[in-house]
Amino acid sequence: MSILEARELRRSFATTTGVLRRRTDPVEAVRGVSFHIDRGEVFGLLGPNGAGKTTTIKMLITLLLPTSGSATILGHDVVAEPRAVRRRIGYVFGGDRGLYERLSALDNLRYFAELYAVPAREQAARIGELLEMVGLAGRERERVEGFSRGMRQRLHIARGLLHDPELLFLDEPSIGIDPVGARELRQTISGLREQGKTILLTTHYMFEADELCDRIAVITRGELVATGTPAELKARVSAGSVLEVEVFDGLGDRLSVVEALPGVRSATVTTGETSQTLVVSIDAGADVTGATLDALHGIRVGRVVSRQPTLEDAYVELVGS
Amino acid sequence: MPMRPGASASGGASLLAAFRVVFVGGVISFRALFNWLNPYIYVPTMLIAPVFQILLFAYVGRSAGVADDGFYVIGNAVQYASIPCLFAMANTIAGERFTQTLGIVLSTPVNRVALFVGRSLPVVANGWFVAMVALFVGGRVLGVDLPLRVWPGIALCVVVASASCTGLGLLQASIALRVRSTAVLSNIVFGVLLVFCGTNVALDALPAWMAGVGRVLPLTHAIEGARRVAGGAGLGEVAGLLAREAALGVAFTVAGLLALRYVEGQSRRHATLELQ
Repeated sequence: MSILEARELRRSFATTTGVLRRRTDPVEAVRGVSFHIDRGEVFGLLGPNGAGKTTTIKMLITLLLPTSGSATILGHDVVAEPRAVRRRIGYVFGGDRGLYERLSALDNLRYFAELYAVPAREQAARIGELLEMVGLAGRERERVEGFSRGMRQRLHIARGLLHDPELLFLDEPSIGIDPVGARELRQTISGLREQGKTILLTTHYMFEADELCDRIAVITRGELVATGTPAELKARVSAGSVLEVEVFDGLGDRLSVVEALPGVRSATVTTGETSQTLVVSIDAGADVTGATLDALHGIRVGRVVSRQPTLEDAYVELVGS
Repeated sequence: MPMRPGASASGGASLLAAFRVVFVGGVISFRALFNWLNPYIYVPTMLIAPVFQILLFAYVGRSAGVADDGFYVIGNAVQYASIPCLFAMANTIAGERFTQTLGIVLSTPVNRVALFVGRSLPVVANGWFVAMVALFVGGRVLGVDLPLRVWPGIALCVVVASASCTGLGLLQASIALRVRSTAVLSNIVFGVLLVFCGTNVALDALPAWMAGVGRVLPLTHAIEGARRVAGGAGLGEVAGLLAREAALGVAFTVAGLLALRYVEGQSRRHATLELQ
């Protein structure tokens, strides 16, 4: 059963430039997005910055009206029945802000418990459970201004769960968190999945999406370009393999030479601190290792690895196409 | 566990939840948004500055020989309640923008009337406290002797003044849903109240149109009422003035709540909630 149904959602904005001669230009942030989320599913919405992920979420959580299209959450229309929708959803976004810095974690939760009408006699137990779940038990009387980003993020999640929502929106919850904090956050989200929570997750970290999501939609320039399980996306986009070649000199025009090789689907370069990595996506059954190394003749080459495609490879091809 | 969202709350439960948002939520939100107001900021801004305003106008009044010191002490002390009432109410939205909690608060199903009325109660109390301290300190400094028996009546006038001025602040708060900063507007409104409400120049001495404007602004009737009480009038004699002040406060509060509802709808249409 679908908990969320989005049908042809569109949202455009008017951007204004100039002071005396003001000029208004429309910008289409979301262009006809349709998808559904089933009960108990963790659904990933992936896309580059400015792709329309957050705008889509804001329409779904009733903070923004769609220009056209419609969406329902548990049968309630996000435009016509905003209060009914708000009672049933939780919203958590990433970053440092979004909490009352000078209040303790406990007071932050108490305040939002009031806003979500959690009955007074249940508040203490509910807040205690959530603090335990997100690993902040014992720190609840400290002011949030002294919390690390990871702790804030876990407090955000506790806040979003106060009223036991049926659908939780997590908008880039792991952004800017150190690896240990991000791992703890993923464990928290995994725990929610095991409890049967339905979650819409946006993230820039592909391994996170691969680990947590049952299904993923990739959005770019306001349009969905692919939807499926992580395995389906990998298979659909990159049936074949990936060759990675570490190089220590500039590639110059060699990238286009490699791209033109028979059996090569695409070639991209990622730049590290001391070297670059040439990532070559190869058709199934093709072997271009020798031809690629020939094309790189005269350039200092380091590690050469052939591997199966990852979700990140699929994502790069999808958003780059 | 909290009541599952699918179940609709009974009328009694909804009412209780709204009461808790007003009284419990109101106090927590005041602490959340104004905890930065520590004694080093609060005392000079809220308790010392109004005394300077009182002294300035009292000495100008003495030079001009227009009115006695009591006229200026009461007028300026009550008028200074507008500083916390205007700025703090507007900041209940602007402060949420700064902490980026505005979107989160407005994505909750909380009853907006309870939310904003709750936020106004601590502001009224603060405005009352600021004005009463200014009245006491200003009076002591200038040697204005207000007998003990008049203080309860004056305190009541100041409560009504703070409440009505907070209603005007609520109207300003609605503007904060569309624009980044409301401090400029609050300063202008403070100036308008200083000039138009009979704070330092009696309404009779103002041009007719200014006096007319003053009569539909908060503070005017409460200042007049407080002066009469200080002059020995009983509460019954100023009941009409206080009723008019309260009616204005209710009118501004209702206008503020309607404006907040309208502008919240517009902000969903025009994506103005996330302005920083």
